[in-house]
Amino acid sequence: MFAEIFPVTTRNPAVLRVLIVDDEPLIRWSLAETLAEMGHVVVEAGDGASAIRALDDGEPFDAVVLDYRLPDSNDLNLLTTIRQIAPQAAVIMMTAFGTAEVTSGAIKLGAYRVVPKPFEMHDMAELVLQATAPSPS
Amino acid sequence: MTFFSSDEASRILAAIVESSDDAIIAKDLRGTILSWNQAAERMYGYSAGEIIGRNITVLVPDDYREELAGMMRRVAAGERIQHFETMRVTKAGDRREVSLMISPLRNGAGDIIGASTIARDITQRNSDVAQLRNSEARLRSIVESAVDGIIVIDATGIVEAFNQGAERLFGYGAYEVIGRNVSLLMPSPYHEEHDGYLARYLRTGEARIIGIGREVTAQRKDGTTFPVQLSVGEMSLAGERKFTGIIHDLSARVRVEAQLREQAALVRLGEMAAVIAHEVKNPLAAVRGAIQVIGKRLPAGSREGSVVADIIARIDTLNALVKDLLLFARPPQPKPMAIDIVTLLSSTATLLAEDAAHRDVRVTISGTAPRIMADAELLKIAFVNLLINGAQAMQGQGDISIVVATKDGACRIAVADSGPGIPAEIRDKLFTPFVTTKARGTGLGLSTVKRLVEAHQGRIRVDSPPGGGTTVTIDLPFATL
Repeated sequence: MFAEIFPVTTRNPAVLRVLIVDDEPLIRWSLAETLAEMGHVVVEAGDGASAIRALDDGEPFDAVVLDYRLPDSNDLNLLTTIRQIAPQAAVIMMTAFGTAEVTSGAIKLGAYRVVPKPFEMHDMAELVLQATAPSPS
Repeated sequence: MTFFSSDEASRILAAIVESSDDAIIAKDLRGTILSWNQAAERMYGYSAGEIIGRNITVLVPDDYREELAGMMRRVAAGERIQHFETMRVTKAGDRREVSLMISPLRNGAGDIIGASTIARDITQRNSDVAQLRNSEARLRSIVESAVDGIIVIDATGIVEAFNQGAERLFGYGAYEVIGRNVSLLMPSPYHEEHDGYLARYLRTGEARIIGIGREVTAQRKDGTTFPVQLSVGEMSLAGERKFTGIIHDLSARVRVEAQLREQAALVRLGEMAAVIAHEVKNPLAAVRGAIQVIGKRLPAGSREGSVVADIIARIDTLNALVKDLLLFARPPQPKPMAIDIVTLLSSTATLLAEDAAHRDVRVTISGTAPRIMADAELLKIAFVNLLINGAQAMQGQGDISIVVATKDGACRIAVADSGPGIPAEIRDKLFTPFVTTKARGTGLGLSTVKRLVEAHQGRIRVDSPPGGGTTVTIDLPFATL
């Protein structure tokens, strides 16, 4: 109820909004279940276009977990777009076969980390927490 | 039969002497020339008028005077000298090689009063022979200096000639092969079938190689075989059929072709591995993630819970296999840094020791080498592979000795185990991917080590003596990366 009136200020900082972008439903489901069990809010997107739609409307996201290869994206352009429209969100990339060039390119464009598939669900959740933790100033 | 008067007979004999192509000269025992025919004039350049009454020594070069004196003594003693080859000199001063027949001349009482000499100029003939010898020597040196093997056989397959090129190629000396059947140089089944081929060709004229040439396999003295291009020509020498085989070694070409094929295969494998990596790892990640979430919801200690753990373990094994395949098929470009190889080996050995399966394996490292420019991560993978191979070869029990040294501008690392050695039948295929002696192995270990070493411009060699104990030697250059 409060959330509808003061959407930003009343947000519980311990509850993260995470966007999961992967065309593999099992990955989305596993990750969503793991993060939801920890109390976080998860939105799923199956391709780049729906990811951008999700980022464009509604509440801002704290983190995006983004697969490198999607039906409508097979390069780092989607990462660039996401960094532009949602600069506040930490982006963690996943890749089944990432070359060193992909990894270093993604880091240069502001990705927090590039994680090779497969991974431990718990490790990924930890990484999301780490990426969104306020940086010590 | 016709009888002549003595005058007539003398005239006829004189005509015969005059018309002879050979010089016919009569002289007394002191050497004074008594008669001189036209051929003598042609041969020596003196007319009869000039020379009759002079001594035969005018025709004899100084260095042959003694020989002449000796011959005259023999003739004076009644001996007849035939086909005696010596040197004479013409009026113009040219030396001529001559063949002499010298017979005693007797008077009516039978006393020897002089000698008749029939001389034939053999200068030309001797020069022909010398030329022949020369051209034969030239041909022989061409045949002998040829890089290719040249072998001549008779119609029954018996080797008649075997040049130095053939000696080099086959490892036989010509003396070991000449007189034996050429099938000696062929592996089975050609060895057994060659006589039949030859007989059929002689019978039917149906040629498979003769006059055509083709690639065949030859066998060296030590039993090893090698690919050759064989061209066979046929000839007839003094009515006998002979065959000349020219053998060109194709080993180098075949080796290069094999290398190119292997490289092309590796490139294709790399492309395939990249696709597999993505298409396999992605669903593996999905299955692993989902089953992990489901597993967490099962009651602790339940049978289902342990099945899920097993499923995750299998998925991890699959994933490791894909990773190994990828490492072999597409080894990453090394990121070289100055590293101390002994330190790297020590930490690798520690890594091995942490695995309970290798508790009874003792690894000793000795020697030193200057720092090398290399990718520590990639070399670590290579050394872990070698140590695990060694440990498994020794059934998890024994000594592995690593010796580091500097050799020919490279850092040499020799890893020796005390295992039973490598079975002979796979010794040639050690670096072939997917060849393994293990019940559960991908056969990628050594092949990957080789790829990683080669990515560092290094070399790898495996020695496995029949007595057991395998040594893998790696040479890594100090300064090429």
